[in-house]
Amino acid sequence: MTAALSRAGLLAIYICSFIVGSVLMGFEMLGSRYLFPYFGGGIGTWASLISTVLCALAIGYFAGSAIVDRHPSPRTIGTMILIAAAYLALVPATADPVMANILDHIGDGPSATLLASTALLLIPLTLLGTFSPIAVSLLTRSAAEAGRVAGLVYGVSTIGNVVGTLFTTFTLIPLIGSRAITYLFALALAVCAGILFIPFGKRAS
Amino acid sequence: MRIRSVIFGILACCLTAAASQAQDTRNLLESKESLYNNIYVYEQPPYRSMTFGHNRRIYTESVYNTRDEKDLPVDYTRFMTATLMYAKDVHSILEIGFGGGRTAWYLHRFLPDVPVTSVELDPTVLELAKKYFGIKEEPNFHVANRDGRLFLQEAKDRYDIILIDAYRGPFVPFHLLTKEFYQLVKDHLADGGVVAQNVEPSTMLFDSAVKTINAVFPQLDFYRAEGNIVTVAYLGDERKPEDLAALAQERDKAYGLRYRLADMLAERRRIDVNGGDVIDANAKILSDDFAPVENLKSIERHNRKLP
Repeated sequence: MTAALSRAGLLAIYICSFIVGSVLMGFEMLGSRYLFPYFGGGIGTWASLISTVLCALAIGYFAGSAIVDRHPSPRTIGTMILIAAAYLALVPATADPVMANILDHIGDGPSATLLASTALLLIPLTLLGTFSPIAVSLLTRSAAEAGRVAGLVYGVSTIGNVVGTLFTTFTLIPLIGSRAITYLFALALAVCAGILFIPFGKRAS
Repeated sequence: MRIRSVIFGILACCLTAAASQAQDTRNLLESKESLYNNIYVYEQPPYRSMTFGHNRRIYTESVYNTRDEKDLPVDYTRFMTATLMYAKDVHSILEIGFGGGRTAWYLHRFLPDVPVTSVELDPTVLELAKKYFGIKEEPNFHVANRDGRLFLQEAKDRYDIILIDAYRGPFVPFHLLTKEFYQLVKDHLADGGVVAQNVEPSTMLFDSAVKTINAVFPQLDFYRAEGNIVTVAYLGDERKPEDLAALAQERDKAYGLRYRLADMLAERRRIDVNGGDVIDANAKILSDDFAPVENLKSIERHNRKLP
């Protein structure tokens, strides 16, 4: 087991788990806004977006479990989230030329929509995907509570997923532009990373 | 007395219910689940209709008169052809959103020498249009199975008339209603060309759509049809009614059009888009970045009617 965290540290991880979950699905919804103007609003574009998100999560989970074996710490996941934030911050300025390039060179078939959603989503969401397994390992103090902790982390992060999907679709998209929402997500992730960098210290027991 | 009126009331209710039952004598010819829609083809002789979803009143995409292929039973589709009195030349026509293809087929039948191209996203819609709506590939009549925006992005041709009527049931795909999309439309318009867009005017989406089209095309003429408004957009100066009348008369004669352009001209309306009286002053121009079409569609417009 890793060094136990203070109460505040535990809470911080659950809060971040919620925010990361929200941004993850919120950004998937935004993905449709970035892709549709170039590749059309067909079911193929959605299939590419969804499968890319799931691929990113799978890779993120595997990578996370590999990190757990080496040096899991709030700092490690903080760094992952910070890189994802930086990636998101670059998206608004670069997405259009990248999409146009893919359309010009590869067309608009399945390989093009997959490549476009990969360029947009794979890296940041893979980084965010490492969060849950590392969080579970940080929150678990004994093997007996591993199941309970895993359930809590995934529950909280899934509620974040739901909130991110609905809030983005029904509140943010009608309110501000997709580019502004992307910056907002980057900011939310940066705040998460900031929280995780706070040295919460060890539990006093 | 009171009892009697109650009985009469109940009787009247039953009769009305029976009448509305009786009205629903349409016969389902085929239903098909496509990549994008649940499509139903109904027949109520002599008409056939294509609907997305079960409710034909709200989501009817197309109506075809099996006894008369040149009939345009849906009011607004006639006004889409009003574009014929605007275009400087009529050498090519593009339609985005084919559905049952009535408007495109009408134009093809009356203007057999003019190439008509129509773009339709849903391959099953095309299949059913060919099966039940008398549509077939012919010289000068071509249907492309493509997303409308993608088609334009790749098209090298310019068109004298571009008709836009792309709906999926009650929804408008957002990428077909943004400033960037209309810019693309403008880039594919021949010199002196004209664009028509079918918009349903009961929600705030209408206000935003009008402002968005106006952001690219300075001139907008409106034609009110039953339940829909056809917006005719073009570049340059406002067309004078007498010039339109002259061209209408000339083309009515040249093409022998069933729905006379001269008659449609009487329905032409101009509105002050930026005055705030008809179009909400707060309505925003839609862009690829900001286009909450579903949200706007859910807000009713109040008390602002076209003159």
